[in-house]
Amino acid sequence: MRRRTVSRTFYDALGLLIFAVMLFPIYWMVSTALKPGKEILSLTPVWFPSHVTFDNFRTAINVPFFWNDVANSLIVVLTVVGISIVLAFFAAVSVARFGFRGRTAFIVMIIAVQMVPLNALVIPVYLLLNQVGQVDSLPGVIAYYLAIVLPFMVWTLRGFVANVPVDLEEAAMVDGATRVGAFLRIVFPLVAPGLVATAIYGFIQAWNEYIIAYVLLSSNSKQTLTIWLASFTTQHGTDWGGLMAGATLTALPVVVFFLIVQRHVAGGLTAGAVKG
Amino acid sequence: MGVAGDARARVTAGTNIEAGPSRHVIARTLLPYVLIAPAVVVIAGVLGYPLAMLLWLSTQHYGLRELFQHQGEFVGLANFATILGDSEFRHVVLISVVFTVVNVGVSMLIATGIALLLERLSRPVRILLSSGLVLVWATPVIPAINLWQWMFDYEFGVVNWLLTHLGAGNYIHHNWFENPLQGFTVITVIVVWGAIPFLALMLYAGLTQVPRELVEAAEIDGARPWQVFAMVTVPILRPLFLILFSLSTIWDFQVFNQVWVLLNQRPSKDYFLISVYSFQESFRVSKFGLGAAAAVVMVAILLVVTFVYVRQTVRLTTEEAV
Amino acid sequence: MNPRKLLFSVVTAFALLATACGGNSNATTTTGNETGTLTVWLMNGSAPQSVVDGVNADFKAKHPNVTVDVQIQQWSDVTTKLDTAFAGSTPPDVVELGNTLVAKYAANTALADITSKKGSFENSGTWLQSLTDSCTYQGKLYCVPYYAGSRAIIYRTDMFAAAGVQPPTSIDDLLTVGQKLMTKYSSDPNFSALYFPGKYWYAAAPFVWDFGGDIATQSGSKWQGSINSSQSQQGLSTLNNLVSKLSRADKTGDELKQDQAFAQGHIAMIVANGWEVGVITDPKAGDPSLKDKLGAFPIPSHTPGQTAPVFLGGSDLAIAAHSQHQALAREWVGLLGGTKFQSQMVTVGGVIPNTTSLVSLSSGLPAIFAAAAKNSRFTPNSPNWANVESANVLQDMLVSIFTSKSTIPDATSAASNKITNILNS
Repeated sequence: MRRRTVSRTFYDALGLLIFAVMLFPIYWMVSTALKPGKEILSLTPVWFPSHVTFDNFRTAINVPFFWNDVANSLIVVLTVVGISIVLAFFAAVSVARFGFRGRTAFIVMIIAVQMVPLNALVIPVYLLLNQVGQVDSLPGVIAYYLAIVLPFMVWTLRGFVANVPVDLEEAAMVDGATRVGAFLRIVFPLVAPGLVATAIYGFIQAWNEYIIAYVLLSSNSKQTLTIWLASFTTQHGTDWGGLMAGATLTALPVVVFFLIVQRHVAGGLTAGAVKG
Repeated sequence: MGVAGDARARVTAGTNIEAGPSRHVIARTLLPYVLIAPAVVVIAGVLGYPLAMLLWLSTQHYGLRELFQHQGEFVGLANFATILGDSEFRHVVLISVVFTVVNVGVSMLIATGIALLLERLSRPVRILLSSGLVLVWATPVIPAINLWQWMFDYEFGVVNWLLTHLGAGNYIHHNWFENPLQGFTVITVIVVWGAIPFLALMLYAGLTQVPRELVEAAEIDGARPWQVFAMVTVPILRPLFLILFSLSTIWDFQVFNQVWVLLNQRPSKDYFLISVYSFQESFRVSKFGLGAAAAVVMVAILLVVTFVYVRQTVRLTTEEAV
Repeated sequence: MNPRKLLFSVVTAFALLATACGGNSNATTTTGNETGTLTVWLMNGSAPQSVVDGVNADFKAKHPNVTVDVQIQQWSDVTTKLDTAFAGSTPPDVVELGNTLVAKYAANTALADITSKKGSFENSGTWLQSLTDSCTYQGKLYCVPYYAGSRAIIYRTDMFAAAGVQPPTSIDDLLTVGQKLMTKYSSDPNFSALYFPGKYWYAAAPFVWDFGGDIATQSGSKWQGSINSSQSQQGLSTLNNLVSKLSRADKTGDELKQDQAFAQGHIAMIVANGWEVGVITDPKAGDPSLKDKLGAFPIPSHTPGQTAPVFLGGSDLAIAAHSQHQALAREWVGLLGGTKFQSQMVTVGGVIPNTTSLVSLSSGLPAIFAAAAKNSRFTPNSPNWANVESANVLQDMLVSIFTSKSTIPDATSAASNKITNILNS
């Protein structure tokens, strides 16, 4: 018993150390956002802002079209996550649980698609969307993001679905549930952590993508937050304080999303449910 | 009570909406197709044409003029001959491969360690650490790289200041990018830092699926913790490990921003990874055909390297399927 | 015919049809009855909002039924955006281009030839020569100069006073002044009399030009790198001497952070653009208390009393070849490039205007930078120049000279060969 407490304390200490190391750049980002100009780049590092200023945040949210960008990013990201999580779950179940002709081809396709460097697709994607009149429109961007997050989501979820022991499901069928019913009732809760993780993945990918969003969206009222972040860099140099304030504001919604999702899905990442 | 018991209890409570046997068979045949159809439509509909065009571009002499007039000139495999015959490109490929191996190894090792640690933490520390990891993951990539750039800055860098004041030597006015080996070490730190949250959280999510009874049974049999990990955990998580290894390989082989942004969008040749090479040829030198060819070579290498993974995945899936 | 070609010919046919339909506004003069939307891309931070609003108001007064949509674009990856936009069927009508990018897009048929309309632009006779050069490709005009930027040396008046020195009037004098400053502040290990990051090519070019050297010369259609000429080498060796004695800046770094470094107070001089004064004294980026301690002087020549030629940076306004509103686009460009709004660009925006006739509007420190613009040069005007820049040829050459990795003759002849190859490819 004593040994257990000691090792728990040791692990917690280690966990806190890792937390400190991993989070140091984040601390530096937030503290930079709160620093006045002269302390931002300084020969002797300024560990704590001498007088905290919110000017950088004020500048950041007063950039023209900021609220437009927020709304557009939310529309894009929530649509992408909502649609992709459903489609990916269906496809993952299909691949993990059914033998059917073409399955191997499908698996190879979703793996191979992820090997293509996205920068190389900028021109082809632009020309495609240009032909269907979806340049400078949010649906075009949404469609593209869906296509790039889906292969990953399907593949990852497949692993989670496959990890649910088949005998569970068989037991359920013996008990008289339909196959579909069995899946929804048993598999769904068990893959919940996977759903959370892939949803966050989709959220972050769509939320942080820059080059395609920039190339496709030209109207200032149709742009997303990553383009707003790029606006802190002009040919007159970069407004570092503003950029860091912007980056802080951009990262926050993802964490909020994470906290919401992990609380509402039983057995979320932090709760570590499935254990008996 | 274990998972199985829970699930059984829940299912017994459910109602049966079973249909007749013949409809059942048809449904079983069609169901998998119905389930994958939407995903296939989206992926193929959006990426099919661009991927075909990428392949087509790699066989064209295609500069800005050709791009603006939509009129390329077919050159067969000449673009491939050009880059593969270029010793500089072969060097770039070699660097990219070594870089990928190191980065995948280091990130998987650290991430597995953190995932195992997460399991053993007290609840508040676990929530703190996992939320912290999400925060790191959520930080927009480009400002994050800017941050690292400052931290390793020649004059203003915290790292130089810390190393000097901790007595590790004189790092005042130390340039981390003069020597590519040091430079790539910095890039590795950034890539690994960015990769850890995702890998650790996925592995932790997987660990929570390992049935507790199996672990306990092994412990009762007197297995040491590392034996439990090797004998129970790893085999159960094999599909997940497989996925994460191949994904990491794919992502680390594609590393672009960490070089491009860190070196102010004009990296010297020493720092060319294959994705940087491809982007430079396309958008800086406007040789879109060569850029596309480099991208195709990149995919080909990845296919070869991950062939084992892919075959394993396919095989595993076949075994699992009912 | 393969399916791709078919697809493209269908698209092209539509484009032609669209052009034919839009023929009305394509006429050489505008009538005031035009309708539609004129799309304009300006770069982030180039024109003050009040100037853009003013141009739009004047334009609207003449063309009440035309909507002008000014879209501000970001610098990061802008060439990628331009490449795709010109490849698409709906490029912007008016686009601001950095002056080193114009040749690349003009040579590849993206921009409208406005040679015959040159006379219709206000002040076209007195446009800054270097900007006009940047708009000219193979004798034809593809854009209207928008604004310029040139470099001079910004210095700390208080440090000069403390060391008892005056702004130098020759390169030798610059060295003497710098050494006196180094002695005066010898106790500060971070002090640089002249802070000169190793990759700062645009600050090095004046030294090359001042001794009569050049980057490359053109004879007929052939380019020949000349950065290894004896004059060029003389300029670079003079600069190398200055840097080794006066600078503690990163010999392999670039100039992006030099203003923040200057604001830290351990630097007496930097080679900088006029607008950098604003960054140094900006409360968010720099140190406002330096406001009264800054002076500027032109980069001196090796000939006492003269100044060295400087690189003229800046932007131009071009019209897309596929724009369906050529006449309207020219009119909008004419307004922003004309006397009324160029004067505002000087007084409100603090930049150098596109015409020598308005340069005298600058006062204070900006006037020194504007004066420097009169003796200015431009990079080789080839569509391949952008490739020389992206291959970092000159930056790498400077770094290997400053770090003594190779001798000046070796470094320059290697660079010169590369430049010759890229420009002629």
